[in-house]
Parts: sequence; C-alpha cells; structure tokens
Amino acid sequence: MDDWFPLWLSVRVAFGATVIAGGAGIGFAYVLAKGRFRGRGLLEALVTLPIVLPPTVLGYYLLTNLGVNSPVGRAWEGLVGEPLVFTPTAAVIAASVSALPFVVRTARAAIEGVDGRLEAAARVAGHPEWRVAALVTLPVAARGLTAGVALGFARALGDFGATVMVAGNIPGRTQTMPIAVYDAVQAGDGSTARTGSLLLVGVAVVVLLAVTQLSARER
Amino acid sequence: MILRSAVLAVLAATAACGAPSVQSSPAAPAITVAAASDLRVAFEELGEQLHAETGLEVTFSFGSSGQLREQILNGAPFDVFASANVEFVDDVISAGCGDPATKTDYAFGRLVLWTPPGGVAPSTVADLADPSYRRIAIANPDHAPYGKAAEQALARAGVLDAVGGRLVFGENIADTLRIAQSGNADVGLVARSLTIGDGRDHALVPEDLHDPLRQALVVTATGDRRAPARAFAAFVGSDAGRRIMARYGFALPGEREDPR
Repeated sequence: MDDWFPLWLSVRVAFGATVIAGGAGIGFAYVLAKGRFRGRGLLEALVTLPIVLPPTVLGYYLLTNLGVNSPVGRAWEGLVGEPLVFTPTAAVIAASVSALPFVVRTARAAIEGVDGRLEAAARVAGHPEWRVAALVTLPVAARGLTAGVALGFARALGDFGATVMVAGNIPGRTQTMPIAVYDAVQAGDGSTARTGSLLLVGVAVVVLLAVTQLSARER
Repeated sequence: MILRSAVLAVLAATAACGAPSVQSSPAAPAITVAAASDLRVAFEELGEQLHAETGLEVTFSFGSSGQLREQILNGAPFDVFASANVEFVDDVISAGCGDPATKTDYAFGRLVLWTPPGGVAPSTVADLADPSYRRIAIANPDHAPYGKAAEQALARAGVLDAVGGRLVFGENIADTLRIAQSGNADVGLVARSLTIGDGRDHALVPEDLHDPLRQALVVTATGDRRAPARAFAAFVGSDAGRRIMARYGFALPGEREDPR
C-alpha cells in the first residue's frame, strides 16, 4: 500500500465521530435509562434505527437532509462557502449517526446497572439529580460508558454505505479506508485491498478485546 | 428500482449544484475528474502522461456514470465529468452543473464477452442461452450505460428471456468484471477497455446489438479550476490522448469502424 491518506482520514473521521456520538450517545443513554416520559419508546427506536436500517437508506436521508438543496445544506454553504456533502465533514456526520446506537445501547445498560442504593444515598445527602449523575451514576458506570464509546469508535472507523453516499469516493479528500478497500477491489488492486482490510480487522479486534475486558471487570 | 428512478428524477429536477469550492491556491494545479468505470485503466495512464507533461495533478473518482451524475447534481466538487453515455452529460448540463460549450464526444465504448481462463468462451451473445452459463454478469442497467447496452444486446440477440434468471448485476462495469474474474459468474458482458491488459482475445459484441455507447465529457469546474479542467478535457481529445484511448480498445469519434 503506497497511499496512507485513507487510513489517516479514517482515523480523523472516526475520532470526530466518536466525540459527537460519544457525547450525544451518553446523553441519550442517561435519558433513556432514567427518564419516565411519553415517547421514550419512540426515542429509543429512533436512536436505534441506524443499526437496523440499510446504510444506503441512512445515506439517502443524510444526502437529502444535508445536500445542496436542503435547508441545512444551504445554511452551511452560506456560512462556509462550500457544500457540506462530499466533504470530510459529511463523512464525520455519517459515521456519527452510524456509531450513535452502539454507544447508546452499551451506555444505557451500564447506567441501568448502577446500584440504585448508591444513588439513593447521594440523594439523601441532599445532592440534586444532576450532581447524583455527575458524582455517582456516571463515574460508577464509567467502564460500560467507555466500552460503548469504544464500540462507537470501531463502528465509525468501519462505516462504508452511508459515508460513500454523502461523502463520495474522492481520493485524497473523502476516500476513507473502507472506501479505499472497495475502490482497490474494483481496480483489481489485491495488495491494497488486503493491506487495508487487514488494518481494519486489526483495529476492530483490538477494540473488541478492550470492550470485553471493560465489560468483564465490571462484574 | 422504480423507486430509485423516481428518486433520481426528483433529485435531478430540483438540483442546484454546488457553489465554487473554496480552493486554497495550491502550489501545483490539481483537479478531480469523475469518470465512468470503463475509463479506469486508460484515464490513469492519461493522467500520468498529462502530469509528466504539464505538472497538472489529476485525481480520479470512478463509478457508474449514473452514480456520478447523481453526485454532481448533489454538489460533489468534481471538475470534469467523463461519462460512458452522453445522456448523463446532458442531464448535468441541463441542471446547470456543466459548461455546455465544453461538451465533447471522446470515445465509443465496446462490449466483450469475458470468460475466465479455462472457461468455455461463447462466440456470440446468442450462445449465452446455453444453460451451462449458470451466471452471467452485466452492469446494473438502471444506472450503468454498459449494463443498459448489455441488456439491449441480450434482447436483440433474442436471449434476454432465456438468460433472465441467470443475470447478476455489478454496480458498475469494473465491478462486473470483478464478479466474473472472481469466478462468481461464468461469463461477463464487460467493457473492452478493461480487458485489453489481460492479453487474451474475448468475443466482441457486434455494435449493432446495442445503441452506441457514445461517451461524452463536460467541464463542471468553476472558478480558478476551470482552466486546468479544460486542459484535461483538451488532452483527452488531443493526438496523444486519442492514441491512449485507441490502445485500450475504444473506437474514436471521427474514425469509427463501420458498425455493420
């Protein structure tokens, strides 16, 4: 493999997406675990949707909602001066949406697993609910939250379908590692396809081992 | 597929392509060319030669012509669109995304019947009716011009119904060749330009079995990348460019073989 740009881009995109999906995902997880409100089931279904939907459907909705004819796309173009789609930023958005449910589901289980007596003790000590969350719930659930964020990172790194639809396959600009593998297969470039695939498998195995470790020690 | 066509139609009808991309005046001029998959080998060589002669850096994004059209209509920052079919270029121009003055025919594509080494090579399209060809790869006729041409060839040879259940679709013509090369199809109707390099003879599909694969390009660049994009387009049509295209088995405008 003679071009390392796709790997470098993938790592940057995955980090960006992990920050977004991690923050939003833990927020959603907390609300879903603790909240008792109408529409909770619907909210849960909505944030889980990207796991179940074909990536092309996700990509299509992103393209129509962020594209040059959409209000968001127009507003972005007015601010930044170039379209949002077919840029690395669009790749970050696609990867964030794909990664979100993995963070939410893992983090939610971790938050629900926190011993209620610890939280009750903090409430008795007079702490308001946000301090209970910040001082007790989230720190106790930290391992599970980390596992969720790690899964989100792995998912973001590997996203193909949604990314190729909103960011395209532009070498040196939006061609991430999974897209470079696809392109190499199309070009009959077996060595790049093999190297790229091995790298992605390697990262995924490392992340999944870490996730297993984090979950095991929690019990 | 109907849904997809409808979606494309809506996208095309409402399209307004991207504003000029902000370009941080790079040291060496650089452009991005959206090119049909059948051009991969020929255009890469062409790009290298142009780079050697002028220093212009050309990056290619290959895909099916229909997919690339869709991306351009949605604001993809491509500077030249080289399609495998002139209709897609016309779509881009009528949406206001390409400069009509730069529309140029640059080649006519040809289909071959590709079989893997050791396979039983059909000599005509009609031979594909033989059920020993269990899987026949063609590009997706919905958005890949070579796929549409392959479908027409099967229909005009009178075997479309006979092979219908055995067709498998590639995403684009390079993908179609990949399906056949990997042994997942017994034969593929693919672009001659992608098979020149393997040094074997593959039966050419007669030109009268399908509408001409009239390949056209258009400059879609705006701002300061318009000049290098035009230089690339001019190079494709220059003597040097035509020599490369001819070497990869393309028929050239102005010197077409008699189709009959």
